[in-house]
Amino acid sequence: MNGSTLTPSRRLALPTLNGRQRLGATLLALLLAFAWLVPWLFEADPARQQLTRILQLPTLAEPLGTDHLGRSLLARLASAVRLSLGMALLSVASAAVPGVILGVIAGWRGGWLDRVLGSMADAFLALPGLLLVLLLVAIAPGNFWALYVGISLVLWIEYFRVVRARTRVLVASPQLEASRLLGFGPLYLFRRHLWPELAPQVLTLAAFGAASAILAMAALGFVSVGLRPPTAELGLMMIELLPYYHEAPWAMAQPILVLFVLVLSLNLLAGRDPR
Amino acid sequence: MSAYLLQAEDVTIQGEGVTIAPFSCALKAGSRLTLLGETGSGKSLLAQAIMGTLPRGLSARGRLVIDGETFDAADDKSRRALWGRRLALLPQEPWHALDPTMRAVAQVAESHRHVAGRDRRAALQAAWADLTELGLAEAGGKLPGELSGGMAQWVAFAAASAGGAPIVIADEPTKGLDAPRRDAVVELLARTPESGGVLLTITHDIDVARRLGGEVVILRQGQVIERGAAQQVLTYPQSEYGQELLNAEPSRWPRPAPLGETTQAPVVTATDLAKTRGGRELFRELSLTVRPGEIVGVVGPSGCGKSTLGDMLLGVTRADGGKIQRTSGHPLGFQKLYQDPPAAFSPHWQLSRLLDDLVRRHRLDRSAIPPLMARLGLNEHLLERRPGEISGGELQRFAILRVLLLEPCFLFADEPTSRLDPITQRRTLALLVELARERHCGVMLVSHDPALIEHTCDRRIVLGDEQVSAAGQALYPAPELV
Amino acid sequence: MSENQAARATSRWASRWTSHRTTGLGGLLLQRLFQAGLVAWVVGTLTFVLTRSLPGDMAYRIAAGRYGHDMVNTTAAEAVRAELALDQPALGAYFGWLWDLIQLDLGRSLVSGEPVVAELWHQLGHSLGLAALAVLLSLLLGPPLGLLAGLKPNGMLDRVSEVAASVLRALPPFAVGLILILIFSVTLGWLPAAGHGRSAHGVLPALTLALALAAISSRVARNAMADVSQSAYYAFSRTKGLGERLSFLRHGLRNAAVPVVAYLGVQFVYLIEGVVVVETLFAWPGIGHALVHAIVARDVPMIQGTALVMGLMFVALNTVVDLLCHWLDPRRRSA
Repeated sequence: MNGSTLTPSRRLALPTLNGRQRLGATLLALLLAFAWLVPWLFEADPARQQLTRILQLPTLAEPLGTDHLGRSLLARLASAVRLSLGMALLSVASAAVPGVILGVIAGWRGGWLDRVLGSMADAFLALPGLLLVLLLVAIAPGNFWALYVGISLVLWIEYFRVVRARTRVLVASPQLEASRLLGFGPLYLFRRHLWPELAPQVLTLAAFGAASAILAMAALGFVSVGLRPPTAELGLMMIELLPYYHEAPWAMAQPILVLFVLVLSLNLLAGRDPR
Repeated sequence: MSAYLLQAEDVTIQGEGVTIAPFSCALKAGSRLTLLGETGSGKSLLAQAIMGTLPRGLSARGRLVIDGETFDAADDKSRRALWGRRLALLPQEPWHALDPTMRAVAQVAESHRHVAGRDRRAALQAAWADLTELGLAEAGGKLPGELSGGMAQWVAFAAASAGGAPIVIADEPTKGLDAPRRDAVVELLARTPESGGVLLTITHDIDVARRLGGEVVILRQGQVIERGAAQQVLTYPQSEYGQELLNAEPSRWPRPAPLGETTQAPVVTATDLAKTRGGRELFRELSLTVRPGEIVGVVGPSGCGKSTLGDMLLGVTRADGGKIQRTSGHPLGFQKLYQDPPAAFSPHWQLSRLLDDLVRRHRLDRSAIPPLMARLGLNEHLLERRPGEISGGELQRFAILRVLLLEPCFLFADEPTSRLDPITQRRTLALLVELARERHCGVMLVSHDPALIEHTCDRRIVLGDEQVSAAGQALYPAPELV
Repeated sequence: MSENQAARATSRWASRWTSHRTTGLGGLLLQRLFQAGLVAWVVGTLTFVLTRSLPGDMAYRIAAGRYGHDMVNTTAAEAVRAELALDQPALGAYFGWLWDLIQLDLGRSLVSGEPVVAELWHQLGHSLGLAALAVLLSLLLGPPLGLLAGLKPNGMLDRVSEVAASVLRALPPFAVGLILILIFSVTLGWLPAAGHGRSAHGVLPALTLALALAAISSRVARNAMADVSQSAYYAFSRTKGLGERLSFLRHGLRNAAVPVVAYLGVQFVYLIEGVVVVETLFAWPGIGHALVHAIVARDVPMIQGTALVMGLMFVALNTVVDLLCHWLDPRRRSA
């Protein structure tokens, strides 16, 4: 209004992180370090059972104790985080790339192509995501790839819808019309006008999507329709350790805490929900 | 009891890099005061200080006497009890000031009920009576989103004044309105002092200040530059800034040198154009030509298709009928200047980067840039900034630089200066005309201000329902020009 | 400044509505009906693929599950095979399968032998009861807190509720449920952990779902209220003399409620997903619990039935949200 005539907008193609996002990034980095350094530093096999040493309290040899089958919780947690993050990264990548490309095409071209792609997305949205994943998992029980396909199929729609809506507005904007009149081609328009606007939103969606993927996998593991034992998976570990809560509450708390920190770090990193 | 309805004594505002010098005024019943100034002059802040609605971080000091009661300006909350009853504020941008989910009549009626204290039925009757009196009976049942800007201003006026407050503060009441609607708002505002109230108006529009009369205060960067009777100040300003401001009024601009006879072929010729939008015919059988170096003005009320006409000549929008012939050999020769300069740039890149892109894309001569920048009064260091980081006037001149590098033969300037302050507007348009003449570039200039078109253009086209449907052809030369 | 932000916020909502605007109420209901058809088709098709992907001896295993290992013979296996149309060519079987679905002939459970519809009817009552209690609790918790926080953005309440919401959002419903069980059942012994029958059994599962829902709705309400309280029309309502309380009641509440209700539609995704997990955790005999059991037992007709009911429940809840928005926001009605 009256106070200032200049409205500074220092936004780069990659958004600078605010305090909350920095906290999220730090937490995530710590988890990544934990997941990948543990197998290096400790020669622990997440599947090796030692029935003589079940539900032991943390010791120097086993810094996080052992579970009901005497397996190293340190090794299992590290393995579970690798699995969760791997699945999240994979499904987010395979959802974001087609989601963004199709969204830009649909928003830019409009017409019948937009309608066809739009109704395709609506068809996937008709069912709540987890239900779709459950049905796919029912076809191939305990299969990592069925889980991956299901989660990716649910996630791509978010990218598509957000990118399409934003692209549609931008394509009709004076800034794009001006650049077109100045003789610039579609690739330039994408690079200079669309991507800087889309990138922060896509990154936010990616972080939220990773969190959803991790939660979905854990939820399915928890109700015993996801990955099968003896895989070290966070949801599965919780349900396995639940009967031993009285003897070993610290063991039960570990997968819950790790899942919490994992999802929290991604949620913090995401920033504000663009939907 | 004081003889004055509204008195301000040494009101100052401070905080966040803003300083407003001590301001005083004393207004008797029936008087009017207009604060005139550019963006950033602090005129709206003074109104907010009186109301007690300053944004967080700013604080006022001084003494206010409102209707005989004394207030400390520093205590914002003290005037809240007066809102609607003694003090009424007409908001900027009435469209946003009305609740988008409530019908117009209900928004007026609630003031009658809860501020004036009528019962439900009487309030509703009074609201309908207000709207009918303003000629808005059919708008009562509508939602704000369905009202035009002018209608929204009337509804906001009725809602704000239902409580019968004798002191009315109008903050930029004519922003975004075209000439006829602006005059009607001025008439409406004049009712308050005529019925024994006080009117305090904030505006950047000299014409509005002149029509309102009373006392005028010219503000600049928080300082009172000049004050006195409107007649005096707005005819023979004493201060240098006042003279500059007045000379920036389009009606005082010198007319451009005539184009003279030219034998050159037109850059664009349109024959029998027709366009319908949303079931409404914008124009039909419209023919026109633009010759090199010629400035053609287009005027008409909002929504009459001024922008659409230009976009059709550029080839951005299709015509429903008719023929457009553009001069050949200039694929990039048809360019456009936009109303809102920041909207025409991607906000994420430095200007130097954008300029560089253009030079590389078309293998332009870099040495042409520095002299042109100097002509346009653009400093070298501005190139390091992003579009949002320089002023609107600078950015519009940068947009001119950008299109001129492509040596255009036709430029469609769609209200290029309507968001700029008067002095900046004058400089920018003068440069545009000069450069267009020099480079033989035909310009189609759109404005809602007839005076501006008359003092800038060689010819003008008037668009609007009557002219087009009645006359069929709306093209005629401005009286004293060829 | 704040005015611009508010304008942008309102235009964001407006742009979301314009897509609906063209349709009107009738069109909206038609869209939802179409969505319901889509749900049936997706569920039908996926469960059909499921029957075809069953391993060869599945008919025997299912028969064994139903009649007991001693009673299994070729006839029983053949009966199962015929029930799933495993002996027919794929395409014909597919249309037959969908035709049965259209007629709401969902078959019999392969595990219990009871008609699927009868079982669903029973379970739906439990699930709806749980969902209704959860939504009610979440509405009592979330939006009022959010509105209060939104009136004073960055105030004490806003910060505290933001941290609480972030924590809850990072905990999946089953983890929240586990923690509640550990606190209220195992440690304090106040409430039963699992089962049903007494009203006390419903408290923990409903609270689990409600906390997850309230975490989101409180933030949506807070943002909506913050947008409204910074809007030009809210400021105008105050300066025209309505005062704080009337401005809040007449202009604040409804405008803030519109996005909150619209967002409920998104929240129902969480609700349906939460029902699956929470019912399993608390052994609540609802649809979600039945779905998980059916998947574990590969009881295809039950999988189809439960998935179908959950999908349709989702559509029905969204239709209710549409109607509510329509009623709250006159901009939609006059379109």
